[in-house]
Amino acid sequence: MADPRVSLRQPIVAALLAFLLPGLGHWYQGRRFKAVIFSVGILLLFGWGQVLGEGQTTYSRLVLRAGPDSPQFSEVAPVSKSSFGYWAQVLIGMPALPALLQEGRFNADDDSVGFLDTEIRSDFVGALIETTRQGDLRTPVTGTLQIVPSRPEGSRTVEGTITLDGAGGAVSYQLGGEVRLGRRVFGSPRRGIECRLVDDKGDFQSARIEGTIQRSFWNWYMAPMDTAELDRLHGSLSRQYDVAAVLTWIAGLLNLMVIWDAALGPAYGYGDERSSEAEGDGGGAGGPAPVPGKSAV
Amino acid sequence: MDLSLLTQAAPLTAIVCLVYTATRFELPEKIIRSALVMYGKTMVFLVSAWCLLYWVSG
Repeated sequence: MADPRVSLRQPIVAALLAFLLPGLGHWYQGRRFKAVIFSVGILLLFGWGQVLGEGQTTYSRLVLRAGPDSPQFSEVAPVSKSSFGYWAQVLIGMPALPALLQEGRFNADDDSVGFLDTEIRSDFVGALIETTRQGDLRTPVTGTLQIVPSRPEGSRTVEGTITLDGAGGAVSYQLGGEVRLGRRVFGSPRRGIECRLVDDKGDFQSARIEGTIQRSFWNWYMAPMDTAELDRLHGSLSRQYDVAAVLTWIAGLLNLMVIWDAALGPAYGYGDERSSEAEGDGGGAGGPAPVPGKSAV
Repeated sequence: MDLSLLTQAAPLTAIVCLVYTATRFELPEKIIRSALVMYGKTMVFLVSAWCLLYWVSG
């Protein structure tokens, strides 16, 4: 039973608001001091985790690798499993809910592999692969890439150029033919691409490029990611990534207590109970302090 | 052992203590006082544990 001095207004509404945004439920109840503590504290913790983890700590599903090929290139929604960490993160409400939206976009995004409907200009990191009699010769390269679909409405074939950086200066090559693009929505800032080189007449050369280009923020933020991306994050951030994930979990779990407080009031009482003073700060719900002017029985 | 975990633990502990005690009580003075006590106890424990592990691993 909540202390009668605590105004819970409509507890269900307050709890729902507290779930949507930490502190919002308490602001609605007029408990402004606690609203500010919850809002600033929990959002700061979640944001801190997001920054440390380069924005990749929150995802609702982990995509599993089914074969030698990256799940990025899967033309149907790849096999995935639920992310247990997300069940803690989602308790923070709106800041983590985009992951569910991205999961829906990810599952509906089966047409983007091998199909280009708009121009792409991006930096490129990957390899130039020349097919020789002895086998494939891979040369690591970086550069800039620009491709457009062969038809204005979109196409599986593209035209474009790639300009590769080199010690002797930049070198440009023509690209053409079918393109293999990673899924549009995927939890990695880099999108896989494979395309063949063509000569001035448009005939295929015995070389191709394989690598990655930029994926827009809207298409990777909180989207389902695969184990290869997790490995990359652990490789580049090491322990920092684990700390970042734990911070976002703690933020979500703290908000569970906040939701509870919005619905039922403070767990140990108002804070001026004599019994709690006598027991230290450990709590114990005692009765409210006597009203001034009236003698306690 | 580096100190980075402790430097991250200090603000994390502060936020956790403040939010936790704010869900336990209603009076701002009681919240702040309880949070400070909890923060002090937790940091003493964390630093002691860190020192113990440092000594053991040395």
